[in-house]
Amino acid sequence: MAWSLSSRASQLGPPAAWSLVRGVLPFLACVAVAILAQVILKPFLITTLGWDFAAKMIVDVGINIVLAVSLTLVNGFTGQFSIGHAAFMAVGGYTAAAIVYYGSYRIAGNPDLAGGVLSSMLVGREAPWFTPHDLLFLVAMLAGGVVAALCGYLVGLPSLRLKGDYLAIVTLGFGEIVRVLIQSQTGDVLYDPEEIAQTPAWKLAGSLGGSLGFSGLPFYTSFFWVYLLVLVTLLLAWRIKNSSYGRALISIREDEIASEAMGVDTTRFKIRAFVLSAFLAGCAGALFAHTVGVQLNAAELGFVKSFDIIIMVVLGGLGSISGAVIAAIILTILPEALRGVAEYRMVAYAVALIVMMLVRPKGLLGVHEVWERAAWDWLLGASKRKGAGR
Amino acid sequence: MTLKASAPILEVRNVSKTFGGLKAVTDFALELHKGDLQGLIGPNGAGKTTCFNLLTGVYRPDAGVGERIVLDGQSLVGLRPSRIAAQGLSRTFQNIRLFGELSVLDNVKLACHVRVTYSMLGGVLRTAGCLGQEAAITERAMELLRLFDLHDRAAEQGRHLPYGAQRRLEIARALATSPKVLLLDEPAAGMNPQEKVELAKLIRRVRDEFDVTILLIEHDMGLVMDICERITVLDYGRTIASGTPAHVQADPRVIQAYLGAVDDEPAPAAGGTHA
Repeated sequence: MAWSLSSRASQLGPPAAWSLVRGVLPFLACVAVAILAQVILKPFLITTLGWDFAAKMIVDVGINIVLAVSLTLVNGFTGQFSIGHAAFMAVGGYTAAAIVYYGSYRIAGNPDLAGGVLSSMLVGREAPWFTPHDLLFLVAMLAGGVVAALCGYLVGLPSLRLKGDYLAIVTLGFGEIVRVLIQSQTGDVLYDPEEIAQTPAWKLAGSLGGSLGFSGLPFYTSFFWVYLLVLVTLLLAWRIKNSSYGRALISIREDEIASEAMGVDTTRFKIRAFVLSAFLAGCAGALFAHTVGVQLNAAELGFVKSFDIIIMVVLGGLGSISGAVIAAIILTILPEALRGVAEYRMVAYAVALIVMMLVRPKGLLGVHEVWERAAWDWLLGASKRKGAGR
Repeated sequence: MTLKASAPILEVRNVSKTFGGLKAVTDFALELHKGDLQGLIGPNGAGKTTCFNLLTGVYRPDAGVGERIVLDGQSLVGLRPSRIAAQGLSRTFQNIRLFGELSVLDNVKLACHVRVTYSMLGGVLRTAGCLGQEAAITERAMELLRLFDLHDRAAEQGRHLPYGAQRRLEIARALATSPKVLLLDEPAAGMNPQEKVELAKLIRRVRDEFDVTILLIEHDMGLVMDICERITVLDYGRTIASGTPAHVQADPRVIQAYLGAVDDEPAPAAGGTHA
């Protein structure tokens, strides 16, 4: 029985035009929803209700969702234990910050926020719908993602030879190297327009504030940018998970030898997972850098931040997108709600992680989504059925 | 069928593997013609699984001894396992290696990945090619599950299947890569007699319906002698006999390998696994 995938596929496939609509429309819907969040939800929350803090939390939640879901691609799907995710955030954040900050100087002579309605969480600001500075921010965010993706490629390389704890140590080391390099090897932030105009770009790239942090960044990050990235990330992760590529990634985690034997080029897929994950984390870092109330500082993007993201992925379920989202929401809000005892957060996380590894090593939902029955099998007594096997 | 004059579909020559000082496999040679159903037997530790690992690229054969592994005109020496799978050599594992957290259906669908031509970006954008191929893959996977009587459990996680069903799923998964040659590593291990009888039927059916050539490692002599047209016997990494079941069974060296030398002590301690 000769079976050809391509010939059968062309019989079963939908018309190209229709699939184009179905394929691209959700991305446009992401843009639309993000715009609505910015022009309706933002003024409603801040102006009508006066819930500034809630608005700030929603931004933080969004950024953490992107970080958790992007890490899910590597730790969850592919099963490569990376504990240096915050470093990609730092790389993306600093890259974007440098472009936005010095770019604004070159364009306008000052670093002030000059975005349109879609940028920034500030209210009562007269602004057109769209300005060239919005474009600058978008380019900066994507550039941050690309530079982080390059780093992801470099970190992905050792993952071809290292497994488990050893890979974890490499990623941890990478994270610390990034943090230390930014803190110790970058010069002060420049703020004299003339000096900036005369300094070559490569030198500006080294003036990132060092251990003092990158101060004076304009607050471009808004509901629009955050939720655009959140929705696109979710759509991306969801569609990858439900394609042959997602199955290939998860099969690496389940059994690398069998995966390779079934024709999955495990090397290539691990690298792909690292690159894509780092790209998204880099974009999230760019948003983080330009958030109201944040002073970008590499010291905050070290191991502790990486650990915050890991705990979201592990609690949610290694490979569960919805699990990562829920965990990101809870673990962003909880420390705020328990402000008084927030310093004990790391203790609680560590205990939670240990208990989790002992009781349910694959996370609360495992590889499944919240709405899938299999996610709850372990609670609903699947052990009975497991006993049927040998 | 074995007397066909055409070029062999799988030709193996001078394949050896040394681990440190241990010669696991020495000068392994094999010729499979299209539609063959051949057995590979030998006592425990004879190097059977090592041979499979050499053919599928898990191990690289010792170099510089004229090693040759040719599948349908394509040399497989030095290729990584995923490339070898794509060329059309697929396998099952002695110690079952299913993707336990994935559903039974997804286990089989994953194996179709080697034939997928849409890109990752195509998957993200859900192009017509992607949707068509995904539909074709699902259809094909369900067909295979039906053949192996697993379609009722398609949605269950692989690790929840009973043992015999897991073995069948391994074969279904290997077939999903559309192989030219299928290597089965002890497919009947742990099965009860009834399951073994059904497995024998199934293996024959697979060979006939899928136009696939099969090489089988098995300890159950009843099964091997029943379904294999030719048998190769390994002992300490060397091929000690090759031929029809009757021929092999009568070979004194085979009897010696399995039951010990005739002039040994009368105590039956020398025997490895028996038939």
